Amino acid sequence: MTDTLLTVHGLNTGYGAVQVLFDVAFGVRAGTVTTLVGANGAGKSTIMKTLAGLVAPRAGSLLYDGREIVGLASHERVDAGLCLIPEGRLVFPGMTVEQNLRLGAVSPKARSGHEEMLAEVYRRFPRLQERRRQLAGLMSGGEQQMLALGRGLMARPRLILMDEPTLGLAPVMVKQVFEIIRELRDAGFTILLAEQNARVALELADHAYLLENGRVGLSGTGQDLLEAPEVRRAYLGM
Amino acid sequence: MKALDIIFGLALAIGGLLVPLSGDAYLMGLVFQLAMWIALAQSWSMLSSTTGYLSLGHAVFYGIGAYVCVLLTGVVPFGVALAAGAAASAVFAGLIGLPVLRVQGPYFVILTYGLAELVRNVVMRIESALGSFGRMIFMVPSFEVLVWCMVALGILATLGAAAVRHSALGAGLAAIRENEVAAETVGVPVARLKLLAFVASATIPGAVGGLALLRTGYFEPAQAFDPVISFTIVTMALVGGTETVRGPVLGALGFTLLSEALWSSLPQLYMIVLGLTLIAFILFVPRGLSGLADRALGRG
Repeated sequence: MTDTLLTVHGLNTGYGAVQVLFDVAFGVRAGTVTTLVGANGAGKSTIMKTLAGLVAPRAGSLLYDGREIVGLASHERVDAGLCLIPEGRLVFPGMTVEQNLRLGAVSPKARSGHEEMLAEVYRRFPRLQERRRQLAGLMSGGEQQMLALGRGLMARPRLILMDEPTLGLAPVMVKQVFEIIRELRDAGFTILLAEQNARVALELADHAYLLENGRVGLSGTGQDLLEAPEVRRAYLGM
Repeated sequence: MKALDIIFGLALAIGGLLVPLSGDAYLMGLVFQLAMWIALAQSWSMLSSTTGYLSLGHAVFYGIGAYVCVLLTGVVPFGVALAAGAAASAVFAGLIGLPVLRVQGPYFVILTYGLAELVRNVVMRIESALGSFGRMIFMVPSFEVLVWCMVALGILATLGAAAVRHSALGAGLAAIRENEVAAETVGVPVARLKLLAFVASATIPGAVGGLALLRTGYFEPAQAFDPVISFTIVTMALVGGTETVRGPVLGALGFTLLSEALWSSLPQLYMIVLGLTLIAFILFVPRGLSGLADRALGRG
């Protein structure tokens, strides 16, 4: 078995009076795709935001690469190799594709050698190179998702957190995004994926957790969850 | 365009530095005003044009600098008093920056305005409690020296604004303006950069306030913290255009010359024209005078 890159333990998070996560625990092994599935409002995005440092947890521990990261600022986590591709993509709309990508390498560790990384991102996403002078806000949703991914890769992450990467995309683009995720895993990246699109996400997942009302329900391999009756009934419509 | 900007800037700077040699009091007064507004609008742009956090309270930095400088004039050498004024504004910005910069959009505008008014009233209370209703300032350097200092501040602020824009700091600030959450996720140290820009934009106005008060030779809190200073800075920067370093220079130039022309003929109309111009520019010329210059020269 490969090493565990991320271990979440006893995580409780909330906004104001509302508690969203209750004692959430899961792990992400290096070099795998781990998927969080669950309905809208189950807490997937809150887990992602907590991991990225955008929301502070109320209790719990986040061990990344053997180190406690609760209390680290977002930019320190990026520098440590943990990078969030946010829900809704959040590209910088008034900047060109290339400016967006260069900003991805803003962290001190990524700044050196960011030219090679830019070439690598262009090699992986030729579409971005074709459009590198275009304003990001004028691109299609699928292209913006690729840009958000490329911008994340510029930070040279080890663990990529993807929050709903297929949200609002056309079916053909959804397929392409999952193809890219597969390629990234094969290239050695570790990926934590939050996805409503349960079937495709589970087919791809090495390991998966079902999140229900802020608690981890089932866990197992992607295949296990695909075959679990409660998943089939609630999320796959079977 | 870039070369043209540099030539234009150099010509302005050299012209400004040469004027005191002429000994012409009117011309010196004009250059003093011009350099003052360039320094203020340029400083404002370091925070507000780059991040989109629009400060409507920059008079507070001008006023604090003026107050500290006036208190110290005659006690310490003139240069030290000025530097202390700038430092006081910078420290004040550093102290209030973190909480203030957590507030965004219209709330930030209102908060900065309210803070400036609060400080103005506090200083007025302190002064009246001390039984002083205005301070005469003695041992003021010659007007020539004041003009040179002000022109130097205008140059410094312009170089500073250019440096901020064309550095990694500027790229980070632009990311914050575009989308603060996204900036956070790519690893921009958002809170730290905003604070840095806030302090940078507060420093020079402190020294400017000191010089301006030394020129009038009389300190009165209501005047040193006058909110019209804040309004004028924002107006000039917006009319000049927020996308370039050239913008605040053009805005300050346009407004100072316009006000000179109006003062003599129609002093009552000055504020009305100021307001109308701002409205017209926001509606019809969103890129400001700087954008017009680009278009006139066949670019952009």
